[in-house]
Amino acid sequence: MAADRLACRECHFVNEADSQTCENCGSSSLTEDWAGYVIVSHPEESEIATEMNVSDPGSYALKVR
Amino acid sequence: MSIYAVKTTASQEQTVADMIATKEEDEIHAVLSPDSLTSYVMVEADGTAALERLFDEIPHARSIVPGESGLAEVEHFLSPTPDVEGIAEGDIVELIAGPFQGEKARVQRIDEGKDQVTVELYEATVPIPVTVRGDQIRVLDSEER
Repeated sequence: MAADRLACRECHFVNEADSQTCENCGSSSLTEDWAGYVIVSHPEESEIATEMNVSDPGSYALKVR
Repeated sequence: MSIYAVKTTASQEQTVADMIATKEEDEIHAVLSPDSLTSYVMVEADGTAALERLFDEIPHARSIVPGESGLAEVEHFLSPTPDVEGIAEGDIVELIAGPFQGEKARVQRIDEGKDQVTVELYEATVPIPVTVRGDQIRVLDSEER
């Protein structure tokens, strides 16, 4: 698991390991303790994105501790 | 739109998911790699054509599982239940990770918000509360059962 990458506690967006703030929502609450991984490439056509309430393409963590 | 399963090498699920997504195929909408599902990634796509096309370029992707599934079958992966679910206060648990691995303990307190459990080690002469993560314990004996 790419545990060195950082997931945002607010929006679950997965950021690069050296990020200070979330690229998606700007929050500085990032954690490397996350599990489950989803990459949404076409949110408007994806049922998974609709289910997760994701409107921007990118990678997301399913579970953030 | 359907969801297809791709068999991968164990513990390479995220690598495969990343590689499928970076190919930017129009027919592939999302790639799902749940923590609890080893050796498979779920791909949401319009059909297998795009998947088969880029399949050869992806190391660690073993095969495409024949057949398709719907959202209903992967829905439970999207809203993971907390690890502490099913644990009650007073349960006898075994620590399966961390410095106290292998020790038995009794559950004192459950913090659902943080997914943490405070336990008291059995064999300690002085009761010391230890807080561990919900996925680091295994329930041995529950009073409710």
